[in-house]
Formats: sequence, C-alpha cells, structure tokens
Amino acid sequence: MAEKNSDFEPNIVAFLCNWCSYAGADLAGTSRIQYPSNVRVIRVMCSGRVNPLFVMNALQQGADGVLISGCHPGDCHYMQGNYYARRRFMLMRNFLEYLGVEPERVRMSWVSASEGAKWKEVIEEVVSGVKSVGPMNKFQRRQLNW
Amino acid sequence: MVEIEKLREIAREVISREDVRQLIGYRQGTYGFRARPAFVTTPEEVDQLIFSPACVNNLATYLTLEEKLPVPRGQEPDLRKVAVMVKGCDSRALVQQMEEKAYERDRIVVLGIPCTGVVDMDKVEERFPNVLSRGEIAMEGDKFVLSFDGKREEVPKEELLADKCRRCRYPTPLVYDQLLDEEVARFADDDYSDVLELEKRSAEEKWAYWEEKFSRCIRCYSCRNVCPMCYCEDCVLDRLNPQWMRRSVDISENTAYHIARAYHLAGRCIQCGECQRVCPVEIPLMELNRKFYKDVEELYDYEPGTDAEAPPLLATFKVDDREDFIL
Repeated sequence: MAEKNSDFEPNIVAFLCNWCSYAGADLAGTSRIQYPSNVRVIRVMCSGRVNPLFVMNALQQGADGVLISGCHPGDCHYMQGNYYARRRFMLMRNFLEYLGVEPERVRMSWVSASEGAKWKEVIEEVVSGVKSVGPMNKFQRRQLNW
Repeated sequence: MVEIEKLREIAREVISREDVRQLIGYRQGTYGFRARPAFVTTPEEVDQLIFSPACVNNLATYLTLEEKLPVPRGQEPDLRKVAVMVKGCDSRALVQQMEEKAYERDRIVVLGIPCTGVVDMDKVEERFPNVLSRGEIAMEGDKFVLSFDGKREEVPKEELLADKCRRCRYPTPLVYDQLLDEEVARFADDDYSDVLELEKRSAEEKWAYWEEKFSRCIRCYSCRNVCPMCYCEDCVLDRLNPQWMRRSVDISENTAYHIARAYHLAGRCIQCGECQRVCPVEIPLMELNRKFYKDVEELYDYEPGTDAEAPPLLATFKVDDREDFIL
C-alpha cells in the first residue's frame, strides 16, 4: 500500500474478443492513439469464451486488474455470446466485491472494431481506477523467497 | 409432524412395487437422536425408517452420487426407479437437478414430507452439552422436546431451529408423488439480513473477515461432496490440466477454491445449508451462496429450484439485462 500514491504501475490483463475489441485495440494502435501501456492483451474468440475463473486466476497470478471486452449487445459474431458474458460478470463482480476485492479491479466494456478512440478512454478509465485502489494484495500466489 | 406408522406404510407400499429399486430415507443413527440416511431395498427393512427434527441430511445428494458402472455385455441396465424422501428444501434440489436434466422426472418416486423445521445440532450441543449421543428429540407443536437421563426439556422452536429453516420459503415439497402429511404453511421469510450486513462493510473489513474464514479451510472438500448440486463427473477441483487451483492449503488457493465453489453454485444453490453444516472448521459457506442467491433474485428475478421447466440461469439471458457496470 506504500506505493499506492507514488509511481505504481498496475498490471492489467485484458480479454478481448477477436471480432470487435481486439480489432478496436488494433485500430487504436494503427491510428497511433496513445494510451497507457499497462494492459496485457489476451485474444479470445468471444467474450462468452471468458470463464469467470479466468478472472480469479489472473488476480491470483499477479494481475492488479482484469478487463473483459466484447462486441456491443446485438453485434456479437456468435449472436449471443456477449449476453451470456454480461450475466456471468455481473455476478462475478458483485461476488468479488462481497469478498473485499474492489470493483475497480474487475471491469467489462463493449468496444467495437471502429472504436479505437473509445478503447483509449476505456483503458485510461481502467488504469486510473486500479491505480486508485493500489496493488492487489489479497489472494495472489506468494512466491517463495529462498 | 409426520406419523411414523403412516410413513412406513407408504414406504412399504412403494418399495414393494415392481418398478422401484431402492428407497432412500432416514433411520436412527448409532447414538442418541442423530439420524442417518437409510437405503432400503426390501419391504422388511422399512421398519427402520423414521422422521424426526434430527433428520437434517439432504437426501437428494444420493440420487446423483450413485456410481453408474458400465453394464456388462448381454446384461440390461437396471432402469427401475429410485424413491426418495424429501423435505421442502430437499425437494428444491430435485427440481434444480431436473431443471439441469440430471435425470428425468419418471426416474424417481418422490415421497414429500411437509417439514416444520429441523434442529441445528450445534445449537443443541451448546445448550445441552453431551446429550446428542444419548437423548431423544421430538417436535410437539411449537416446541422441541428433548428427553435425556430421565429428564424432559421443552425448548421453544425458535431457539434450536436450524438457520436455513428460519428463512425457509418452501416448507412443503414443491415436487412429490405422495405427500406424507398435511401441507405446512410458510412460517418464515428471507430478509437477507446477514448478507446485507456484510455488504455494508468496507473492502478492507470484508477481506479481513473472509481472510480469517478462508485461512481456516483445510480443503477436505466436504462441502462439495455433500452438495446436491455438485455432481459434475469432471470437477474443476480434480482437474490437472488445466489445474485451476493447486492442492496447497494457503490463503491464495483456499480463496480460489471458495470462489470457484460458490460461483459454480450461482443460480443453482437451493439453500439447503448442507455445506455449512458439514464444515469441520465452521466456515460460513451459506453467506457466500446467499450472496449469489440474493443477486440472482434481485437482478434476474430467478429463484433456483422452483421451476423444473425454466432454463438454467446462466444458460439463458435477456436482452435488457442490467449493464450499468459496463464501460
């Protein structure tokens, strides 16, 4: 917590759907839009592919925040994957909040392939949110220091 | 309260049927008034069946727990039905299992017991130390009556009632072929006061609370094994590739275990309270399950284990589900 206000740079794992958000992030890149470099992107075929246990596992393995991003409702390449994801992460987020994991750490967004600028805003929002709550210091795996 | 003679008579009738293989009910435990499951296969064994406020087990677990061995060549599988005695909460487990297509309705015979509540053994132990192993218990009207050492103690129902019964919305089974007694009116409702109280705390306080609870966990997996809804043949806990959580007993893996267990019961837990009852280190597991139960009811207007025809919660969606948390 000492780092909370200094130059803490969070690790954020982002699960992006192949058809919208990944292309959106790509557009942000090709358009040379500057956004914080704290995100580590994992491409999945659909936001409905993201198992809620991925979130738990990412937080365990040292992520300070997790972002799940998919197509806007109605635009899913697989028709309904993002609707299922929406239900799952609503519950997961509420539950983690109940355990004491700040809701700023688990975020979800809809970013379409043409929204490079929105991607930048989303990342700025997520990074500042995670920075405000500081490093994850709850249930990550501890490395043995021999 | 169910009359034992009537219960045995109906049970005898059911087990004598050609198409019933086994009847699962309650019998006297080895000591005192504890009850344990009875697996009856012949009409002679019916005389051991009982029902008392000590019959806390959820027998729905055993329907899915039974090992299904491959049938040797030339033999026919045993397709006869299994009869099971259920209280109100247990019947919801059956409904939820059928909602998930664990088995068909015509595979089971349900003997419904309208339930006026069961005791919490821990509360009995606290109030009358050591009588569990040599006393007797019965329910008379609004009182539990304990007899031990020639004494007779009457205790108001409220004081020894299990927590799950205090907020039971369905004391009469929701699904049954035969009802063993008159229907019981709802005598309690759920106000989620325990969940609401925890929700109000700050993130640090919440984590401090859960860290203490989770760090006690010895990972015996009793809560999973006793749960009527935990019947996946391939459980994430046993899986080695990917290994979702390691075997080590530390706060990280214990928390991961409890998140996974509770999440897998989201929209499925039917509030029978068995997980918390069997926990050897007294982790309040129901507080985890009840958080989901409350959210699911508030957000999606869905109550698990009440409608066998409805689609499972997370296998369906509405276009206008809430999404105010999405950026």
